Amino acid sequence: MIEAYAAGGAEHGAAGGGSLPNPMHQFEIKRFIPLELFGFDASFTNSALFMVIAGTIITLFTVYAMRNRALVPSRVQSVAELSYEFVANMVRDNAGTDGMKYFPFVFTLFMFVLVLNMLGMVPYSFTVTSHIIVTFALAAFIFLGVTLIGFIKHGAKFLKFFVPEGVPLVMLPLLVVIEVISYLTRPLSLSVRLFANMMAGHTMLKVFGAFVVALGLLGGWAPLAFMVAFTGLEILVAFLQAYVFAILTCIYLNDALHMHH
Amino acid sequence: MAGADNKSGREPKGRDAESIRQRLDKLGQQLADAKEKRAAAPQSVPEARGAALGKALRLATELVAGVAVGGFIGWALDRLFGLAPFLMVVFLILGAAAGIMNVVRSAKEMQAKAPPAGKGPPEVVDDDDD
Repeated sequence: MIEAYAAGGAEHGAAGGGSLPNPMHQFEIKRFIPLELFGFDASFTNSALFMVIAGTIITLFTVYAMRNRALVPSRVQSVAELSYEFVANMVRDNAGTDGMKYFPFVFTLFMFVLVLNMLGMVPYSFTVTSHIIVTFALAAFIFLGVTLIGFIKHGAKFLKFFVPEGVPLVMLPLLVVIEVISYLTRPLSLSVRLFANMMAGHTMLKVFGAFVVALGLLGGWAPLAFMVAFTGLEILVAFLQAYVFAILTCIYLNDALHMHH
Repeated sequence: MAGADNKSGREPKGRDAESIRQRLDKLGQQLADAKEKRAAAPQSVPEARGAALGKALRLATELVAGVAVGGFIGWALDRLFGLAPFLMVVFLILGAAAGIMNVVRSAKEMQAKAPPAGKGPPEVVDDDDD
């Protein structure tokens, strides 16, 4: 019994000697299929596995839900329609009607981040979005794409985006530098927000989960009650972060398309 | 019911029209009431709370990101030109300014988009002295 417990503890990152399990252990990347491409480590990891699962879930869900295309939607179909309308309204409100061209991208992005965040709430699963390299790659892709759209749409005039109006000439160089820095903060704030929220939440959950076990039958109830409430909050945060990620993409798209602050 | 009324009494046409008008008025009143009720509560409380939390999370990181990016640019330029700490100091300050500007800007956007509920019609406040 005790041996099994100790083995279980080691599996979940316990340092041994009765100490609490390491809350950061859950973020460890494990290579399932080692693979090296052109000198880069392109192994199929648990992170990659959960991305594939998320992609599969989204595809199966949307295809299955819309298989009948009934005029009066079934329950699944109305969930799919709701998510479509939710994102479509978000894009229309924040990026205008001509932003609807980019609706497929925003919808994919929103569903991907949402499903990854929600999958992370399943016990024993892996939270892909708790790694800054993943969120930063997403954010950098959005940032580069939006900047390209701006330059394609407006040409060199897009540089005017960095020149605030109605500013005395003396202040202009300083303000342009500040504007450029503020533009460059976008990928960082976008990625850090998602990653930090997911990682902090999951670490908290693990720490308090360890308290429940450590305090046992006598004192474990207090952290357990907290855990229940906090799990609810985490689910809310998982949804909100996906929402914020998508809505900021729309806002950045709007800036590139219409060029005003 | 209306059809039955119509068939039984043909002659009191004026009264029939009168009753229809009355019912229309009543329906209109009910519709207006319902519309008013819906306008008064545009968002349910948990939904509004969620949106507010989303906004708060957005603003918090924007401030920090400005300083971080400014500091990084300064550090990189320092390495490039060998001006040790000076550019980093300058760009940290510029980054802080950019962060604050970002926060003020997005807060203004939020304010313009969603006026506080229950405070009368949306008023556009232009409070910068330009």
